[in-house]
Amino acid sequence: MTPQPAAPASPSPSLSPTDVAILLIEDDPGLVRALESGLAARGYGVRVATTGRAGLDAAAEDRPDVVLLDLGLPDIDGIDVCRHLRRWLPSPVIVLTADGAEDRKILALDEGADDYVTKPFSMPELLARVRVAVRHRRALSAVVDADLLLVGDLRIDVAAHEAWLGGREIHLPRKEFALLALLARNAGRVLTHATLLRQVWPERQGDDDTQVLRTHVTVLRRKLGLGPLRPRIVSEPGVGYRLVVDD
Amino acid sequence: MGVVGIGLVTAVLAPFHDSVSRAAPALLLVLPVLGAAVVGGRTVAVVTAVLATAAYNLAFIPPVGSLKVDVPEDAVALGVFLAVAALAGTLVAREIERRRQAEQQRAEITRMHAEFQRVVAQREQLAAEAHRAEVLEQVDRQRAALLRSVSHDLRTPLATIRAVASDLRSAAADERREDLLDLVDDEATRLDRIVANVLSLSRIESGALSPSLQATDIGELVAHSVDRLDRLFANRAVHVDVPEHLPLVRADYSQIDQVVTNLLENAVRHTPPGTTVDVVVRSTGETVVVTVADDGPGLDPGLRDSVFEAFRSGDRATSGIGLAICSAIVDAHGGTIGAGDSPAGGACFTFTLPVAH
Repeated sequence: MTPQPAAPASPSPSLSPTDVAILLIEDDPGLVRALESGLAARGYGVRVATTGRAGLDAAAEDRPDVVLLDLGLPDIDGIDVCRHLRRWLPSPVIVLTADGAEDRKILALDEGADDYVTKPFSMPELLARVRVAVRHRRALSAVVDADLLLVGDLRIDVAAHEAWLGGREIHLPRKEFALLALLARNAGRVLTHATLLRQVWPERQGDDDTQVLRTHVTVLRRKLGLGPLRPRIVSEPGVGYRLVVDD
Repeated sequence: MGVVGIGLVTAVLAPFHDSVSRAAPALLLVLPVLGAAVVGGRTVAVVTAVLATAAYNLAFIPPVGSLKVDVPEDAVALGVFLAVAALAGTLVAREIERRRQAEQQRAEITRMHAEFQRVVAQREQLAAEAHRAEVLEQVDRQRAALLRSVSHDLRTPLATIRAVASDLRSAAADERREDLLDLVDDEATRLDRIVANVLSLSRIESGALSPSLQATDIGELVAHSVDRLDRLFANRAVHVDVPEHLPLVRADYSQIDQVVTNLLENAVRHTPPGTTVDVVVRSTGETVVVTVADDGPGLDPGLRDSVFEAFRSGDRATSGIGLAICSAIVDAHGGTIGAGDSPAGGACFTFTLPVAH
């Protein structure tokens, strides 16, 4: 699936956990008990579905803010659940995958999942991903329109082909600009190598050499520099990249 | 040889050319021609016949010592002799040739037959090797499926334990501490059960399952198993129905305990909360029958026959090594095990054990 253009989401400037509804789609009773209890204790509203079908129904009813989706469900493949959700639910989807299932993880991201955590994961790790996902929703709402992207102190005017870091313009060749704009448009989301290559280098179709991608990311990182509110390009080894802003 | 024969016959008979009839040397001179035919073939036979005719003429036809012929009858006789000798030689040569060809053909057939048998044997060997490779490949696939399934099974409780253990550190866990510790305890026990199943599986595979059979009160065993799994049934109702005065069965306590545990856990894993599980024990006189039935969604009809096979490949979510172990243990006890529908529409597992006499 292609990353969506900045969808106009409902503005929710200060989301505390109590405002965030999480749908947990997971079939293992032990993990459900652990996650439900851990998330609820932090104030999140949690609804549990133990099958893919029940998960899709619950998502349609509740319109959750974040979906935690196990990929190994008893009835429907988690990848298919992800694909279905993506058709009508703009909320971020975090997939819970088993270690060693790299292909399925990438498949889920290509089907529109925003992020993943690999089992076994720690509670702080999961909570951090949930916070990123919630911020990502907010980041989407901070996008003024399809042509103006704001991530931290990075401002990108797509139509004018201009990028500004805290008021200072940075000069980016065409491909670097396209890559940064794509990452900024999907701030917080993991974009797979394949997606990035396909979107930024459509003329290199079928060439899955990530070297060109790595080179451009290195250059962009140098140009972005470091600082508070400064977006960073984070590597997800073997999977892809994402643009994040630290708190 | 023909020439030597002719020389010999001529030399021996020539001194007596007056006293012997002309027929005797003629007949004897045919012999070297036949001999030449046997050894040298048709052309040699004809040449020898010509030489024999010349020798006959030279030594026995007047005037002796010259190739001239005095009387016309002698010329005719010489002609007939040449014709007969050449014909006889040719016929013999042809016959010999025919025999040699027949022999060659026979040898050829024998050789081809041997070759054919060798090829057949080779093909059989190749087919056997291919079959062996196929079996090995299948075993490999099953092993890979087992590993996947076991590591998935081990990882699931580990995921819970890791999440809970990391959660316990935070202040947000203070009020839930007891609950979370219970959860860790439950999942550790579950890990232990999985490890026990894996060990049993390796014993089954190496043929070292051999139960140590003792007279066992199965009613007590069932009640004890259900008690022990109390927390597993937190959101489910479980009813145990054991009659009084149940005969003892011949069983290995810990192995049958594993069977009951696996069947109970299977019922919990595959049914939603709120399900009722019934454990019923009955005696038929010769056997004791144990039934574990639930009112959950029931067995997938497509899986009914394969539910006791370990690690059905292509099976994503469940591993089913527990049920495979149940089947192997009950078999080793001389009992039977089966799966079907419960009267309430859920799944129903039944196994029997022989009564101890």
